[in-house]
Amino acid sequence: MKFSATKEKLLEGLQQVQNVVSTRTTLPILSNVLLQAKEGAVHLTTTDLDVGVRGSFEANVDKVGATTLPARRLFTIIRELPSSEIAIEVDGKNAASIRSGQSFFKILGLPEEEFPPLPKFENAKVVTMRQKDLHDGLRKTAYAISTDETRYVLNGVLFSFKENKLTLVATDGRRLAMLDIELEFPRSHEADIIVPTKAVTELQRLLKDDGEVKISVGSGQIAFDLNNTLLVSKLIEGNYPNYKQVIPSEAKERVTLERETFLNSLRRVSLLASDKSNSIKLSFSKNNIEITANTPEVGEARESLPVAYKGRDFSIAFNPEFLMAPLRNLTEDEVFFDLIDEMSPGVLKIQTPFLYVLMPMRVSS
Amino acid sequence: MDERCKALWEKLSAALKPQVSPDTFKRWFSAVELTKATEDELTFVVPNNIYQFWIESNHMAALQSAITDAVGAPRTVRFLTSAESDGDDDFTAPEVRKTDGASHSRTVGLGLSLNPRNTFESFVVGPNNQIAHAACLAVAQAPARTYNPLFIYGGVGLGKTHLMQAIGQYLWAKKKTSKVMYLSSELFINEFIDAIQHNTLVKFRKRYRQADLLLIDDIQFLAGKERSQEEFFHTFNTLFDGHKQIVLSSDRPASEIANLEHRLVSRFEWGLTAELQPPDIETRLAILRKKARALQIKLHDDVYQFLATRIRSNVRRLEGALMRVASFASLSGKELTQETIEHLLKDILLEERRQMVTIEQIQRKVAEHFDVRLADMTSKRRPASIAFPRQVAMYLARELTKASLNEIGDAFGGRDHGTVLHACKLVKKRMKEQDNIRQTVSFIDSALQR
Repeated sequence: MKFSATKEKLLEGLQQVQNVVSTRTTLPILSNVLLQAKEGAVHLTTTDLDVGVRGSFEANVDKVGATTLPARRLFTIIRELPSSEIAIEVDGKNAASIRSGQSFFKILGLPEEEFPPLPKFENAKVVTMRQKDLHDGLRKTAYAISTDETRYVLNGVLFSFKENKLTLVATDGRRLAMLDIELEFPRSHEADIIVPTKAVTELQRLLKDDGEVKISVGSGQIAFDLNNTLLVSKLIEGNYPNYKQVIPSEAKERVTLERETFLNSLRRVSLLASDKSNSIKLSFSKNNIEITANTPEVGEARESLPVAYKGRDFSIAFNPEFLMAPLRNLTEDEVFFDLIDEMSPGVLKIQTPFLYVLMPMRVSS
Repeated sequence: MDERCKALWEKLSAALKPQVSPDTFKRWFSAVELTKATEDELTFVVPNNIYQFWIESNHMAALQSAITDAVGAPRTVRFLTSAESDGDDDFTAPEVRKTDGASHSRTVGLGLSLNPRNTFESFVVGPNNQIAHAACLAVAQAPARTYNPLFIYGGVGLGKTHLMQAIGQYLWAKKKTSKVMYLSSELFINEFIDAIQHNTLVKFRKRYRQADLLLIDDIQFLAGKERSQEEFFHTFNTLFDGHKQIVLSSDRPASEIANLEHRLVSRFEWGLTAELQPPDIETRLAILRKKARALQIKLHDDVYQFLATRIRSNVRRLEGALMRVASFASLSGKELTQETIEHLLKDILLEERRQMVTIEQIQRKVAEHFDVRLADMTSKRRPASIAFPRQVAMYLARELTKASLNEIGDAFGGRDHGTVLHACKLVKKRMKEQDNIRQTVSFIDSALQR
C-alpha cells in the first residue's frame, strides 16, 4: 500500500476515529487503526468492539492495499511532522514507512485480516434526520445519563421512535431529561432502543450543524451515517423504564426565569456548597427568589434574583450541579420552572418539547 | 394481597403519608401492593420497573422509616413488577440477587454449614487481598491442580473464612456431588477426642479422608495438641496423596504457630501461603458501598467516607459500624451529622485508636523513606544523614503512639528520654522553618495512618 496526503487531511481523518480506541485493550489489534487505501481516498476504521468509527480522507493513492497501525502512535507522529506533504508506504510485513520533508519514521503494524470487521446491517430500519436536530437533542439530554454501572440499562440515551416523533430520554434516578423531535418514519420503523454513553459522546463530537444523518437500526446494533463518517455501536439490551410515570402531571407554581442570569447566580452561590453540604436552597417569595448555599465551618452565600412570581412563599433545595447542567446546555433565553412543593420534583421547560425533571434534596434547617 | 399484608400495607401507608408530599404518595405509592412479609424482608409488587427504580433512588429513606414505624425495625425491601412473575429485574443489583437465591444454608458433609453470604461475588477485592483472592479463585476453579495445600492467614475480620467458604460454595455450585468439608480445627479436635472415647476412630477417619475439598479454619488451635496433630498429619497425607484439595486458614503464618510439629509446618508451607492484610481506604469504601447496596441501605456519601477513614483495622468492625449507623438513621429518621455518628460509634472508634501505629512501624517507614537501614534507627551513629531520620522517627513516635519518652528512648537503642524530647523539639522547629521537611513528615505521617 502506498499513498501520500497533506498533513491537515491526514490529521483530520485520524481525529475523527481516534477517540474510540480504548486505552486499556484486551486485544492488541484494538489499539490499531485500520487503513484501507482505495482510489483517491484512504478509509480509517477504529473499534473497541462496542463502538466503531469509520472515516476517510483524500489522498493520492499510488498502490491500493490495507494494514493496521497503532492509532495513538501514528497520530502523535503525524502531528509532529514538519512538512505538509506526507508519504506513507507499507510493505508486505505491515511495516509502515512515513516520510515527510527530512523526517523518516517506521512503525510496525498488524495485518488487516486480524481487524474485527464492523457489523453489517442487512434488513435494517433506516430513518433520516437533520444532524442539527440530533446534535441539539443529545446536547440537551446526554448530561443526565446515569454513571452507575449496576443499572446498565440507564448507561445510555433512550431513542424512542413512535408516532412520527423521536423522543430522547436520559435519567439517573435523581433527574430525567427528555426531548421530542418531529420526524417522519413508517410505522414499521417504530422502536425503543438504548444507545450507550460512549456512542452518544462520540456522536456528539462527530455531528455537525448541517447535513443529514442516516440512522440504521439492526439487531442489537445501530449505525449513524454522517456522510463521510460512520459510527456503529452495540445497543444496550434491556427495557428502559417507563419514564412517563416520572413526569409530574401538573404544577402548582410556575416561574419564568432568564436562563443565563439564573445560571450565573447559581454558579456564584454554589461556590459555597461543598461535597459535605452539596445543596442550594431556593426561597420563593413575592417577585423574588433567594438562592442560598451554606457549608458549616466554611461559610455561606446568598443571592437575590428578581422574577415574576406571584405564588405562595416556599423553599426548595436542589443539588447545584443537577440544576445547572440543563441550564448550561440549553440555548433559549427563557426557561420555565414548574414546582409543586418542597418534597416534589421540579420541572424545567422551554418553548419547544423538552423537559427536565429534578428531584429536590431534603431541606435541613 | 392477603389480609395480613393488606393490614400491614395500610399501616405502612399511614406512616409513609406524612413523610412524602401527597402528590408523591399518590404518584408512586398508591399503585404499590405488599405481597409478602417475613421477619427479614418485605416484598412489594409494582406496575412496572420505573416504580422500583424511582422509589429506590429517591424514597427509600422515607419507606424504611415508615417500615420501622409500622413493624419496629427496618427490613430488606424487594420489588416485583406485575409484568414478570419473579423479580428478574434489570435494577436488582447482582449481589442482592445472588444472596437472595441461596437463602437456605447448606450443610456440607458433617462439617459446619457454609454461610450463603460468603461467596466470591460478595468479596471486595483490593490490593490488600488480591493475591489471596486470586489463589482461592484458582483453587476453586481447578481443585488440587493449582495450589495444594492453600494456606491463608491474616488478622481478625479480614476475610479468611469468607474466602474459604467461597471456595466451598463455588465448588458445590459447580458440582453438587463434590464432598466439601468445612470445619474449624477445634471441631476436628473435639470430634477426634470423641472418636477415641467412643472407639469410633475408623468411622472418624473414613469421614474426613473422603472429602474432595477439606477447608479447615483457624488451624492455629492445633498448637500444643500432639495427638490431634498426629491424626491431622495422617488425614492430610491421605487427602494430599489422593489429589484432594486442602485449604487452611490461620491467624499467623505457619512458621509462627508455636508448638506445632515441624512436619506439619513444612506441609502447610508446601503449597501457597497467602496473606490477607487490612484494606486500604479505597477498598474500605468499596466494601461499605457494596454492603450498603446489598442491604439496600442508602446513606450520604460523607457517612461512608467517615466510616472508611476512621475504621481501619478490620472489615467486621467496619460492617458492624455500617449496620449501626444505618439502623440509627432509619429508626430515628434524624439527620446524620458527624457528632451523632461519633457518639454512636464511640466504643468502636476508641478501639481503633488503641490499635494505632507501633514504634517499630514508624521506624520502618521512616528508614524506608530516608533510605537508611532499620538498624540505624537504634544505632549510636551521629552523622546528620542518620541522626535526622532517627529524630523524625522519634517525633512521630511521640505524636502517633501513647508511649512515654522513656519507652520511646528505649525503643531507639536505649536512649535517654531527654534525647527524645530534644529530637521532638528540633523536628518541630525544622518543620516550621522548612516547608520541604514539613511535607516529608506529613507524608510519612499519612502513610502510617493509612
